[in-house]
Amino acid sequence: MLKKLIFIPALTLSFMAFANVAVIVHPSNAVTLSQDDINKIFTGRAKSFSDGKAAEPMNLAEAVAVRADFDQKALGRSSSQMKAYWSKLIFTGKGTPPKELASEQEVLDAVAKNPAAIGYVSAGAVTGSVKVALTLN
Amino acid sequence: MLKRKLLAITIAATLCATSQAAVDINGFASIKGGMALSNDDELYGYDNDFSFKNESLAALQVKSDLGDKLSVTAQLLGRGADDWDVKFEWAFLSYDLTDTLRVNAGRLRTPFYKYSDFRDVGYAYDWSRVPQSVYGLGFDNIEGASLYHTTTLGNFDSSLQFIVGSYDGDAAIGSSAADAQIENITGVAWELGQDGYSFRVAYLTGKTTFYVDQLDSSAGLYAQLTAFGLGTLAKDLDIVDESSSFAGIGFNIDKNDWLLVSEITKATVDDSFISDQESYYISIGHRFDSITPYVSFEKEDNKAKTEIYAGVPTASPIFTPVAGLVNSLETERNSINVGVRYDFHPSAAFKAQYTNADNKTADRKDSVLVVGVDLVF
Repeated sequence: MLKKLIFIPALTLSFMAFANVAVIVHPSNAVTLSQDDINKIFTGRAKSFSDGKAAEPMNLAEAVAVRADFDQKALGRSSSQMKAYWSKLIFTGKGTPPKELASEQEVLDAVAKNPAAIGYVSAGAVTGSVKVALTLN
Repeated sequence: MLKRKLLAITIAATLCATSQAAVDINGFASIKGGMALSNDDELYGYDNDFSFKNESLAALQVKSDLGDKLSVTAQLLGRGADDWDVKFEWAFLSYDLTDTLRVNAGRLRTPFYKYSDFRDVGYAYDWSRVPQSVYGLGFDNIEGASLYHTTTLGNFDSSLQFIVGSYDGDAAIGSSAADAQIENITGVAWELGQDGYSFRVAYLTGKTTFYVDQLDSSAGLYAQLTAFGLGTLAKDLDIVDESSSFAGIGFNIDKNDWLLVSEITKATVDDSFISDQESYYISIGHRFDSITPYVSFEKEDNKAKTEIYAGVPTASPIFTPVAGLVNSLETERNSINVGVRYDFHPSAAFKAQYTNADNKTADRKDSVLVVGVDLVF
C-alpha cells in the first residue's frame, strides 16, 4: 500500500512535464508583467522592466525540467530553437544570453537578493522570499 | 550550455591584471562530408571524391566584458578548405552608447544578407549551407565601424545598422577570385520583426578596384587596347575605383512550424566588364519536433554587358578577347536543394542536403550531396 502511494506521486511527476511555471521577481519589484514582457526580457529584446528599471533575467540550465516548460510557455519555442536563436546573437556580438543557474534553489536565492532579477521556478517551489509576477499555465 | 564563463580572476591572478573582466568563450563547428554525384560534376568545391575538408570548419569566440559598457570580441576560425589555417574572422570592440545603441569597430561582418552575420554558424539555420547563388560576393568582412540600433516600433522589433569601412583581399569575379580593394564602403541594413514575421532591407555602396594580372599588367589587355588607340574601351572594361552598389531585400516567416524565407539581391559595378548580378532564393520547410525537412530554389542571373563591345567590328583582332572577357561573366543558373535538419542532441544538429545546379549558360548540370553535423559549444 505504501509502495503504491509512493508510486502515484512518481507517476504524477512524470506527467508533470507540464507543471505551472511561476515567474518570480524581488519582493520590492512592483511592476506588472505580461507574457510578452517576459518574452522580451528573456530574449534580450528588452533590457528593463516597464517602469524603466534594469532587468536581469536568470535562466535555468537545460538539465532542469522546468526550463523546457518555460521556453515553450513563455517564449513559444523549444530549447533547441532558443539555442539556435542565441547562437545567432552570440556569434555576432549582438547579444548575450541570460545567465544560467544550475537549480531552482539558486534562482530563488538570486532573485531574493537582487531587486533587478527576474527568474522562474516551478509553481510548487515558490517561497516567501520572492514575489510571483506571473504564473504560466 | 553555450557558454563557459571563466571569471578573469583566475586569469588576473596569473597576469597580475587588476580588472575583473568576465570572459565568455563560445565556439561552433561544422563537420561535413560531401561529394559530387557524377564523374564530371563539380559544385561548391566538391568533385567526385568524397571530401570531409571542403566545408568543415571550427571556431572559437572570445568576448571580454571590460566593464563600463566596453567589450572586445574576437573570433578565430579555421576552415578545412584552407587546411585548417586559423584566422581572425573578426575582431572588434563594442561600446554601448545607450541600452539601444551600440558602436562596433574593427574587423566586422558586412551586413549584406540576412544570414551574413552567422553564415558560418550552421547550427543557427536549417540548411547545410546558405544559398550560394545569393551569398556569392566572395567576401564577408570589412575593416570599419558600425552603429547598431535596436528598438521597438509599435509591435515591431526594429534593428538598424549603419556601417562604414573598406575591404582589401580576394573577391569574386564570376566564378573565380581576384585581388580586390573596395574603398568608401557605406551601408545600411534594417530588419523589422514581429511574432514570427520579419522583413529586411540592405543597401551598400563603395568604390571597387580589381587587379587581374592578364588584364591590368603592362602587357595586359588594357595596355594593348590603349596602344591600339582604344583607351576608351579599356576604360569601359577596367575596374578601377568604380562606383558599386549592393541592394537586398528579404523576408522570413516562422509560423505554426512552417518556415518560409526568401532574399532577392542585386550587385553592380558600374563602368566595368563585371555583369550586373541578380539573384534570389526561396526556401520552405516544416518543423516536425526535432526534424525539419525543407526544399529551396535559387536563381542566379548575371547578364553580360555586351553593349561594351557593340561598336567593335567582329573582324577586328581585339573583338575575340574583348567579347570573350565580357561574355565570361554571363551566368544563368537555377539550383534546387532538398534537405533535412535533425536536432539529435541539445547542442548539435545532423543535416543532409542534396543540391542540383542547372547552369544554362554553360549547359551543364551538377549535383552534390553533403551530410554533416553542426554544433555550438
